[in-house]
Amino acid sequence: MEKVVIIRYAEIHLKGKNRSYFERVFAMNLERALRGIRHELHRTSGRYLVEKFPEGREEEIEERCLRVFGVHSCSIGLLVGSDMDALFEGVRLIAPQEGSFKVVTHRGYKKYPLTSMEISAELGGRLLESFPKLRVDVHTPENMVYVDIRENGAALVFCAFRAGAGGMPVGTSGKGLLLISGGIDSPVAGHMMAKRGLSLEMLHFHSYPYTNDGAKEKVFSLARILSVYTGCGRVCTVSVTHIQEEIHKKCAAELNVTLLRRFMFRIAERVAADLGCGCLVTGESLGQVASQTLEGMTSSNDVVRLPVLRPLVGFDKDEIIARAKQIGTFETSVLPYEDCCTVFLPEHPATRPKLSFIEEEETKLDVEALVEEALTTLERTSL
Amino acid sequence: MIYLDNAATTPPDGEALARAAKEYEECYFNPSARYRGGFAAHTLLEEARREIVSHIADAGKYEAIFTSCGTEADNQAVFGGAGRGNAVTTAGEHAAVYESFLRLRERGTEVRFAPIRGDGSLDAEAFLSLVDEKTSFVSVVHVNNETGAVNDIIALARAVKKKNPRCIFHSDGVQAYGKLPFRLSEGIDLYSVSAHKLGGLKGTGALLRRKGCTLRPYLFGGGQEGGMRSGTENVLGILDFRYAAEGRFASLEEDYGRIKALRTRMKSLLDPARFGIISPEEGSPYLLSVYARGLRGEVLQRVLYDRGLAVGTGSACSSKKPHSRILEAAKVSSEALDGVLRISFSARTDEEEVCAAARLMNEAAEEYANKV
Repeated sequence: MEKVVIIRYAEIHLKGKNRSYFERVFAMNLERALRGIRHELHRTSGRYLVEKFPEGREEEIEERCLRVFGVHSCSIGLLVGSDMDALFEGVRLIAPQEGSFKVVTHRGYKKYPLTSMEISAELGGRLLESFPKLRVDVHTPENMVYVDIRENGAALVFCAFRAGAGGMPVGTSGKGLLLISGGIDSPVAGHMMAKRGLSLEMLHFHSYPYTNDGAKEKVFSLARILSVYTGCGRVCTVSVTHIQEEIHKKCAAELNVTLLRRFMFRIAERVAADLGCGCLVTGESLGQVASQTLEGMTSSNDVVRLPVLRPLVGFDKDEIIARAKQIGTFETSVLPYEDCCTVFLPEHPATRPKLSFIEEEETKLDVEALVEEALTTLERTSL
Repeated sequence: MIYLDNAATTPPDGEALARAAKEYEECYFNPSARYRGGFAAHTLLEEARREIVSHIADAGKYEAIFTSCGTEADNQAVFGGAGRGNAVTTAGEHAAVYESFLRLRERGTEVRFAPIRGDGSLDAEAFLSLVDEKTSFVSVVHVNNETGAVNDIIALARAVKKKNPRCIFHSDGVQAYGKLPFRLSEGIDLYSVSAHKLGGLKGTGALLRRKGCTLRPYLFGGGQEGGMRSGTENVLGILDFRYAAEGRFASLEEDYGRIKALRTRMKSLLDPARFGIISPEEGSPYLLSVYARGLRGEVLQRVLYDRGLAVGTGSACSSKKPHSRILEAAKVSSEALDGVLRISFSARTDEEEVCAAARLMNEAAEEYANKV
């Protein structure tokens, strides 16, 4: 008899011929989540088992696995022999000792001599004998006892399911570049895309010395929290200081942010190409701030060929905040450091900039040289 | 690196540290241990205690309660000293006193904040008008940590005691101890000091207490520091504090004059088109608060650091708390609030550094004025 953590996966079963690829990536992600804890990960039909880990760490293992995308649910249980005495020995250890209960048996091994109902009835009967304060309630039981008869004379017994992160294994939908600021939105956007299987690289723009290193450090902290879900271990940073100074000096003040965002997208596309990313991901939400209007987004999209994924586009702030709290980035996001957008913020930014006006203003700048120069400031920081 | 942020902290006095470390290695015992080694450690502590007090007061009349920092000394004074009635302080206090007063208010004490002038000094008349027969506790910073304004705490203590002899008078002396020549008068009951502002280690401070001044303990436990501050004493930090202070006070008056001349030199070298002065003429020689015209102080601070000059700003700037509370209370202009830089000297600062610093500041201010 051995304590195990049972992991069931979510959408992988839909993937037909690609299934083995999805399962391989999924297993790799699980291994990464469990790094630092001695264990063995085994796949049995339709689920994974974490076995042979140090005593007392099952809850930590379950917690870590629950956050891995692709996990449908987890249970802490016992791996026991499938003969009735061994089954009962296991069930006795995990079952409640009072209140109402129900035993539910699933028979993966169809050649087992008893039917599922018979096994449940036998184990339930034995439990009632052992614990006089227990009573059976098959309709609304307070406690459940699950028995899962496997092949090779083994069975799993457990009492609860905990819902996992769902979604698809990170890495099975390609790779994207997340434009991460120090705010609330972009980490949530990254989390949502990772949930759809996108592996993420991260790019942060700063305006040192107008912004300070604390702001950068804050982004690294956010990236560290995100990396638990995405497995991404590094952040690229690029300085847009000189670009901002040039825009401020030469262009119409109301276009400051619009123009800067075009530069950011251009730079991001080149960084994405270097890192093998097939899309950009941003935390934009329609109408949230002056630059996140339809016209603003059109203006940014205009300078890149890569698709720009904006998973938060239809969310309002409260919904985004709720998600940020759920994934644990909110508290860090609201720490008071300026991100680069606020430094040269005009009093009245254009909300509906015309592309022709933007392009005209942009002719006052040596766009290519500024992009190239910014790229020379690229730094990669391991988290 | 030219280091002119000595009001934030000072470089360690290597000689003092070596002496302290040697003694500590030899006598590492717990000063409360009841064998000879423990007693030897206890003796070292008591010597340090007397020495640290004797630089500014009669060691027979005052004693030091060692704490973990100046902030703890201030908290100990406020929460251990304030009683029923009201408590009076100034709008120019360091956060350690100011925030403690806000907590006092939450606990039901009536707290009163006296206004400060544009240079950060206390409006003494307004302050004294707030003290009455129900005032249990008063706190006035000795040297304003943002502008360098010096408050005449001896005269203030005398005036306070005249109005209410039972009131406890506390002063935060963190920016004054080891820098200004002065002695504690009997009207001053409590005085906070910190080691790392004069070459000592971070993590060591003291509250000097006039013997006879009743104070309630703030930390409870094993009863160290005469029951006033439980917790095993930071022997290394305290020994180092003693030797660092010894070094500072040995040449205090001479340094005072020299640094005063350097501060005047610095003021004369800064381009008046680029910088305005916040500090009062007669402020502490060790601190000069200026502002860059049309620029944000913290941006200039980062530029200067990258070019080899470390200076301070009024306070950590953030989008949530953009300006210094003290300078806002002093009603300085919004340009000055944005652009404030705090230049602070140590006894080691020399003229060459001051000249180079002024040149770097003028250059950077000019360069950035053209950018933003």
